[in-house]
Amino acid sequence: MKRIFGLLTAFALIASACGGSDDGGGDAATADNPVTIDMWIAFSDDARKGFTEEKAAEFNTAHPEYNVVVQSFDSYNTVFEQAALAIDDGNPPELIHFFEAATQQALDAKDKDGNAIFASVTEAIDGRDEILGEPVVIDDVVSAATKYYTIDNQLYSMPWNTSTTTMFSNMGILEAAGISDPPDTWAEVEAACDAIMALPDAPSEGCITWPNHGWFFEQALGQAGADLANNENGRADRATEVFLNSDAALDYVQWWSDLEDAGHYVYTGTQRDWAGTASAFNAGNVAMLVYSSSDTTVLTDTGKENSVDVRSSFMPHNGDAAYAGNLIGGATIWMTSGLSTAEQDGALAFLNFFSNPKNAGDWHKLTGYIPITNAAVAQLESEGWYTESPNSLVASDQLNAAADTPASTGALLGNFVSIRDVVTLAIEDILVNDVDVTERMGSAQSEAQTLLDDYNELNG
Amino acid sequence: MRVREQDNLTMNVGKVGIVRGRDWPRHVSLLLAIAVVVFPLAYAALISTQSNTQINNFQLTPGSSLGTHFDQVWNGANLGRLMWNSVVQAVLITVIKTVLSLLAGLAFVYFSFRGKWIVFFLVLITLMMPTEVMILAMFRLVSDLGLKNSMAGLVIPFAASATGAFLFRQHFANLPKDLSEAAQIDGASPLQFLFKILIPLSWNVIGALAVIQFVFVWNMYLWPVLIVSDPNSQVVQQGLERLKSTDTGITYGPLMLAALLASLPPALVFIALQKPFMSGFAVSADK
Amino acid sequence: MGIVASIIVAALLGALSFGYKSVREGAMGAALGLLGGSVILGSLRLCTFAADAASTEAVLGIGLAGAFAWMFGAGTRAVLGQRSADLGSGENRSGTYKLGWYWPWLLLSPTLLILILFLYLPAFQTFTLSTKLANLTSPRTADRCLSNFSDLMVESPTRIAMLPLVAIAMIWGVALWSKRSTPGTRSHSIAKTLQPMGILAVVFAFYFMFETESGTGGYRLIYLNTIIISLSIVALAMTVGLAMAYLAFGRIRGITVYRTLLIWPYAISPPVAGILFFMMFNATAGIFAFLADKIGIEFPNYTASAGMARGVIVLASVWKLLGYNLLFFLAGLQTVPRAQIEAATLDGANAWQRFRLIVMPALGPIAFFLLVTNLTYSFFEVYGTVDLLTKGAPASSTSVAIYEIIRVGVNNQNIGKGAAQSVLLFLAVIGLTAWQFRQSEGRVSYAGS
Repeated sequence: MKRIFGLLTAFALIASACGGSDDGGGDAATADNPVTIDMWIAFSDDARKGFTEEKAAEFNTAHPEYNVVVQSFDSYNTVFEQAALAIDDGNPPELIHFFEAATQQALDAKDKDGNAIFASVTEAIDGRDEILGEPVVIDDVVSAATKYYTIDNQLYSMPWNTSTTTMFSNMGILEAAGISDPPDTWAEVEAACDAIMALPDAPSEGCITWPNHGWFFEQALGQAGADLANNENGRADRATEVFLNSDAALDYVQWWSDLEDAGHYVYTGTQRDWAGTASAFNAGNVAMLVYSSSDTTVLTDTGKENSVDVRSSFMPHNGDAAYAGNLIGGATIWMTSGLSTAEQDGALAFLNFFSNPKNAGDWHKLTGYIPITNAAVAQLESEGWYTESPNSLVASDQLNAAADTPASTGALLGNFVSIRDVVTLAIEDILVNDVDVTERMGSAQSEAQTLLDDYNELNG
Repeated sequence: MRVREQDNLTMNVGKVGIVRGRDWPRHVSLLLAIAVVVFPLAYAALISTQSNTQINNFQLTPGSSLGTHFDQVWNGANLGRLMWNSVVQAVLITVIKTVLSLLAGLAFVYFSFRGKWIVFFLVLITLMMPTEVMILAMFRLVSDLGLKNSMAGLVIPFAASATGAFLFRQHFANLPKDLSEAAQIDGASPLQFLFKILIPLSWNVIGALAVIQFVFVWNMYLWPVLIVSDPNSQVVQQGLERLKSTDTGITYGPLMLAALLASLPPALVFIALQKPFMSGFAVSADK
Repeated sequence: MGIVASIIVAALLGALSFGYKSVREGAMGAALGLLGGSVILGSLRLCTFAADAASTEAVLGIGLAGAFAWMFGAGTRAVLGQRSADLGSGENRSGTYKLGWYWPWLLLSPTLLILILFLYLPAFQTFTLSTKLANLTSPRTADRCLSNFSDLMVESPTRIAMLPLVAIAMIWGVALWSKRSTPGTRSHSIAKTLQPMGILAVVFAFYFMFETESGTGGYRLIYLNTIIISLSIVALAMTVGLAMAYLAFGRIRGITVYRTLLIWPYAISPPVAGILFFMMFNATAGIFAFLADKIGIEFPNYTASAGMARGVIVLASVWKLLGYNLLFFLAGLQTVPRAQIEAATLDGANAWQRFRLIVMPALGPIAFFLLVTNLTYSFFEVYGTVDLLTKGAPASSTSVAIYEIIRVGVNNQNIGKGAAQSVLLFLAVIGLTAWQFRQSEGRVSYAGS
């Protein structure tokens, strides 16, 4: 028996030796004992993750009393789940990158004692012009982002990557079909597709594609001026009703389904298939791609590599209804509450450094996300960037194209991520199994309403 | 046709290594089987040398990106460190689990006690208790115990298993009965009996269990994701997961290279333990 | 009403499972049944019969009371009668140690401690969670009684009550028939062949109990997917694995290399297997699409059809499992008594007869072990493959139970609903294994000599 206990003790020792602690949250910030700021981001591709790590390293060099540690996850959903688990565990990182759909849930998130998990960034900055020598840029954030993320007249989180849905056209194919400008309305898309598919060497998979993602559905509602939820899209008061089968919603899904039936729209087969739709477009297997403007740079450059002129334009809308505007998508960075002053100032200083005009401009050039502050826009203009790459201006133009209404601002909604899942599942059913649009969106509506009711019961 | 083929094979079972001259049909069929089974791996190897553009343009010759990909995988994704963590985890789990399973097997076969079969059933039924479905409850427990982000949190919950207890019970039950009688007459305690007699007779089963456990731990994914967020303590599957970022599109080359590299340690373990494993891992040898 | 029905059902089932040979025994059984029923209904605080509970919940409540009554009755009977049935081995062995009673418990304690702490406790908590509305980011929870379960079922209480009864009646009827009829007669052999119908009856009963309203095809579709996909995986992986083991068995030049290559895929993790097959079968960038295009065939998009999508998932999983099965079957073939094979060959037995009469029984224990592990693989580890290959597409027709659990419980963070589905899957696996265990009891001997 002794031997066994010996083994177990040895094991316990090994285990405790391997499980070292990673505390760094003391109040005294010195270069010898830097304060660690953990930041979780939802990007793991070389470009975006590399950019963030590079900026963190620059910040750490400029502020040796801090150590910003970037940890990347493979998707928004993963960060969201991991953050929820870390919150459940009572040990979340200082900074977390949440996508727009998680906004309501981040606002409502509470720990076991009922305290809010996240602090308001505006409140924490408290009117300061600079923090640790880094100028505060949060007041200069472009209106497209502030109107989405401002709640109770303050920004709870720091806007970062912000995009909208734009269309990318393979101009080689369009011109061969006698179309000189990308289509702007649904009817024009249909006409263009008829012409393109009649070509002798029509693209092999079809005319147009986009991922089956709830975001596109929400964009279509915004364009038609329809709300996704009551109480002014959840902006006047907590949303208690969701509208998945409004006329505008049914029109869009019906158009989408008809386009698929006509053989023009290509469904790659899986939900949220960003990679599959983009590779079909890059390979020249479809002529047009509705996508996130976040990939403007890489889509344009890939086109150049393959000697294809890729042009970006507004997301097509319903020509029979008044155009009411498109909404943003993307993500912001949330700061957890209960940090020491040193930690909080370090986190805030990093956030403002991260989006200073130069960094925001570089981020835009690297990806296609809109420049997040007005100063960054001005700097890019003075550099002549937009004349050089006109595709990069489309997203900002589209976001500024219509008046501000709750519909074009976007909804604030509990269980939003799950509700999006209900939407994409219903649309997949309609595309693949050809079920009746009105009926299917009706059952999606009642599922989504249950999800919202459940959420409000726990968080209301 | 089919019957005839089986006929040959069954003959071979009977006359191992006798019929040399008629080996070529087996070589051909084995090569065919391998062609099918290994094809995906060969394809992965090809992809690992190509850039995304080359992959999209279909190229059956190796590309030129192997060096860059290796740099991305080894330095960028820190795969070496993650693989080392996985090795440590796998070795710890394998060793502890083997010891605990041996003890359990000893209790089940060489002792009689009230409620034995109920205990055996309770152990056996955990074989069907999927950690996957109760992962959230497990997570809360382990984080309450303060084992998050630690090797202990990766090891202890998996340190006992029904598979091991079951295999050793079967193995011991099939050993000749007079072994334990002789040991008792010699006055050996149960633990002496275990270490001096049973373990030397069980290397095959221990080897088999080691292979299974190593691969099981190596492929473990859901659990590490939940409890290890510190990048330096993560395990190999988490590294693979980050390489296949879904929101921003997959760069296939590095991912395939990493997958191939990650499959080497389990393959090595298998090759190393193949001999003891094959040479009579007999669950019911003497029946 | 519901409470009265539960009392009657619990008392009856308690007596039935415990024994009813004398009045005293029957009363004892009924009391045990009532105890079991009240334990479960009490811990639910009788919510299934509350005024606002759905009628399907009431039926489930009565069912639960019955099930617990049965467990208590049968459990007690088993504990009382265990002296005579201790695993058929061990107990009657000569050469067991006769030391203090605590010895075996000491030896077992580390194993039991870990299993109880990290498997039984979380399992119990999962049961509790399944009756709640709970979300990861909110500390508050709300009681949901059994509605997380009844939401997965059709809204007809009669159907939910009748279907299991019919299935049970069928199983009992056939069992009784085969017990009463004389062995060797035609009637007996019919009863014997009908016996596997029991499991089919249960399978169909569940099929018609699950709803079809929510999502794409309701939980019934998920159930169907799980059955189709896991059965195909297990059947193919076992037969192909055995065939390959035949091929790779015995001495031949280079056998170690052959075996290592054949077993290699076993070292690949399920998600990576998913990516590999995703790349091969992809309609845009896959190698098969490229090769098909070369010879002028249009390669179909597998995610567009339920059949093909399931097929690719099965293929990827079988590919990954083959090495494992091969490994064990090879080891198992070593135990086939060679002398018997040679003798049978001399006696003129053909290959199939030799396989059936000598090889199969020898492989029995290994095959059973593989069946259980393959089944758990196809139920659980298939998640990584599904997530990367299809994400449940098209229209949920490859969404298997485990994928749905993670989608609902983790991705959508509805832990209560996820836990309820986990409980169902858990019960299904336990039930299947218990049935399989019983089935093979006669044929496979685990106990050794």
